[in-house]
Amino acid sequence: MADALLQVRNLETFYGPIMAIRGVSFDVERGRIVTILGANGAGKTTVLKTVSGVMDPQKGTVSFDGREIQGMDPDRVARLGLRHVPEGREIFPFLTVAENLRMGAFTRGDAAGVAADLEMVYGYFPVLKAREQQRAGSLSGGEQQMLAISRALMARPAMMLLDEPSLGLAPRLVKEIFEIIVRINREHGVTVLLVEQNANMALHIAHYGYVLEVGRIVMEDTCARLLDKDDIKEFYLGVKEQSVRGTRRWKRKKTWR
Amino acid sequence: MTAACTVHGQDTLPRLFRHVVAQRGDAVAMREKDLGVWRPVTWRQYGERVRRVGLGLVALGLRRRDVVSVLADNGPEWLYTDLGTMSAGGVTNGVYTTDSPRQVEYIVNDSGTRFFFAGNDEQLDKILEVRDRCPGLVKIVVFDVEGLHGFKDEQVMSLDELMELGARYDVEHPGAWDPLVELAKPEDLAILVYTSGTTGPPKGAMLSHRNILFQLGYADFIAEPRPGDQQLSFLPLAHIAERTFTVFYPLRTGATVNFAESIDTVPDNIREVAPAVFFAVPRIWEKFYSGVALRMRDATRLGQLAYRWALGVGMRVAQCRLEGRQPPAGLRMLFRLAELVALDNVKRSMGLHRARGAATGAAPIAPELIRWYMALGIDMREVYGQTENCGLATAMPADRIKLGSVGVARPDTEVRVSPQGEILLKGPHVFLGYYKNAERTAQTVVDGWLHTGDVGRIDANGFVTITDRMKDIIITAGGKNITPSEIENQLKFSPFISDAVVIGDQRKFLSCLVMIDHETVAQFAQERSVPFTNFASLCRAKEVQDLIWTEIERVNKQFARVETIKKFRLIEELLTAEDEELTPTMKLKRTFVNRKYKDVIDAMYDERSGR
Repeated sequence: MADALLQVRNLETFYGPIMAIRGVSFDVERGRIVTILGANGAGKTTVLKTVSGVMDPQKGTVSFDGREIQGMDPDRVARLGLRHVPEGREIFPFLTVAENLRMGAFTRGDAAGVAADLEMVYGYFPVLKAREQQRAGSLSGGEQQMLAISRALMARPAMMLLDEPSLGLAPRLVKEIFEIIVRINREHGVTVLLVEQNANMALHIAHYGYVLEVGRIVMEDTCARLLDKDDIKEFYLGVKEQSVRGTRRWKRKKTWR
Repeated sequence: MTAACTVHGQDTLPRLFRHVVAQRGDAVAMREKDLGVWRPVTWRQYGERVRRVGLGLVALGLRRRDVVSVLADNGPEWLYTDLGTMSAGGVTNGVYTTDSPRQVEYIVNDSGTRFFFAGNDEQLDKILEVRDRCPGLVKIVVFDVEGLHGFKDEQVMSLDELMELGARYDVEHPGAWDPLVELAKPEDLAILVYTSGTTGPPKGAMLSHRNILFQLGYADFIAEPRPGDQQLSFLPLAHIAERTFTVFYPLRTGATVNFAESIDTVPDNIREVAPAVFFAVPRIWEKFYSGVALRMRDATRLGQLAYRWALGVGMRVAQCRLEGRQPPAGLRMLFRLAELVALDNVKRSMGLHRARGAATGAAPIAPELIRWYMALGIDMREVYGQTENCGLATAMPADRIKLGSVGVARPDTEVRVSPQGEILLKGPHVFLGYYKNAERTAQTVVDGWLHTGDVGRIDANGFVTITDRMKDIIITAGGKNITPSEIENQLKFSPFISDAVVIGDQRKFLSCLVMIDHETVAQFAQERSVPFTNFASLCRAKEVQDLIWTEIERVNKQFARVETIKKFRLIEELLTAEDEELTPTMKLKRTFVNRKYKDVIDAMYDERSGR
């Protein structure tokens, strides 16, 4: 691909004897939002964990900005500008919102820049500003998600890995968070790799998408085209053609065309 | 054709069934897995359910020779319906579950189906979609009504409701059943089997009780039946081979039929069941082989060495058998050791460690594959036949094996080759003709000789070799006759190639379209760190293209220069049995493939294109 910021090649990752990722290759172009769709257990989170260094692959390479990073410790990967926002937020519950955000900038020495970025994330999420001195553990789920994204943003990453940012959030909040992701991408050129079960949202904000099934990629295309595929419609968007009986319980066979 | 065809002294399927049910009582006839547990059905229960289904149909107005179509996955209900219908004087017709509503409509109307059995809601939807255009249809019966509560329809009932109806009818009309069972005569139409029809629409082949009983009469040749024998049923029952093997063959042998949960679980189910006799199409045998080949690649160095050594010993034993002589005592001892070291485990991993007999048929198979199974110590025999002769015409004898041939004629079966090179068959197994199609029947059966449409030859010892389907023979632009399936079979022997179609009719050279084996090629790509995403990108990878070309070159070496393949293309879509490119047994349909991939094919013959 023309300018791939992240290049993943033939990745294989195991949980003990179980092969969770069975040879996955994909590219994320610089400045793009790319999404990986897949059902529960398809291996989406494992892909992100392997990319960010939380897990080590058995095989395959991960190149970030031209540099191989597979097997590298997560903190070193983070310093290279690749930030992972894990599923379930994982903020520091006993620190305040402001402290959490400053933790995100721990790698940076420029106090002025950090202060400016603090204002930037408060601009994106005014509610965080209002709760600045509150303990993060007392925030609502949606606010915690905002905090987790903001904390990652504080490191001025070149790329963010977002694992199910919409998980457990009210629909209105989901919409808001996705809008911010688009803005972060547009206004700051942050490349985003987004893993989502909310396929409808993900396909509408991302440029390119991959479909992962049982540890393997079965489909890839621009999101506009993916939205048009029958398999995506039926299995990810819940659109069903009605049967003669009016309801249909059985599923078509997936063909991934 | 006056020879009485009887099994256990009975001359029709309903009588035979009634007879064996009385004999076998509480022995287990079949098992089906439910929530992870294999649940048995005894012959007594089997008999009762067949009777209820049969009388239920009578209560609904089934008349003699009425056609009952079944569109369902393999399971006990299929068998209740099959024998229930025949016992009540009807004719059963199996429909492939992969058929589209349009195909179902054609078959229902062509056969004049009055009663339609659907396996579940998915199959029900097909018939509901087209029933307005099926005027002859009286009633639809559904086996599994899960997901259908709340659905009410005048024309649709559940199998349970039908059986209740049958039970009530039995009480109200005591003594109705036995005369029904006696109704059928040996020469009566018993079942319809629609042939897939690679050219033109499918045709319903009519098979009589005599046809079927004749085949059963000689069915023990694969393995002498023993009490407690297990079978696994997983190929489509709409196919004559699986129908015979699952429904009819146990009537003779008393083997227990176990139904695989689904096509995906077949490898697990075989290991659980450990069948005594196993019939499969070449594609399945190829898959087993590929599976072992792949596992061996991942095995330890020691494991690989042991396997290679043991297989070498097995090959030498197989060679003795092929030459028709006893292996020397020393070699026999060595083979015993080879079994202990590796071969037994290989067989166990496939679930074939208790298989006393194995048969392959319904499509050509590479001789190397048979040799491999023989080396493992599995008595693998190739059989040949077609729907129109009830499935079996020739088989490999146990004591004289000629690889590459389909064996010798079965007892009471005559085989000869017409001046055009076509294989002709005669015997009590030759069908009654195509349903309501006298013209095609007259073209197919001439003076009692069934014209098979297969081209072949017979050697001095009576071994029959099939070279190809008559209509598939390629005549190149240079005027050379080429039988594509010989080349295709060699290609399919590669673990990386699932199927191939050789092209070259009226062309300057041969080319082929290849369908890769997804699993093995993906693993190959992984091992070589060849990046790929979806199926199409896997096909386009240069390394994969090179791999397939290497496999083609390997096959090319075995053929004369005019018969070598010069170019190829991969089919970049992962095809499933629902796709029209494939037959239900997952063979590529030549004519269809030629039509659908015309542009791809033409591009290969474009002067300017490279390899």
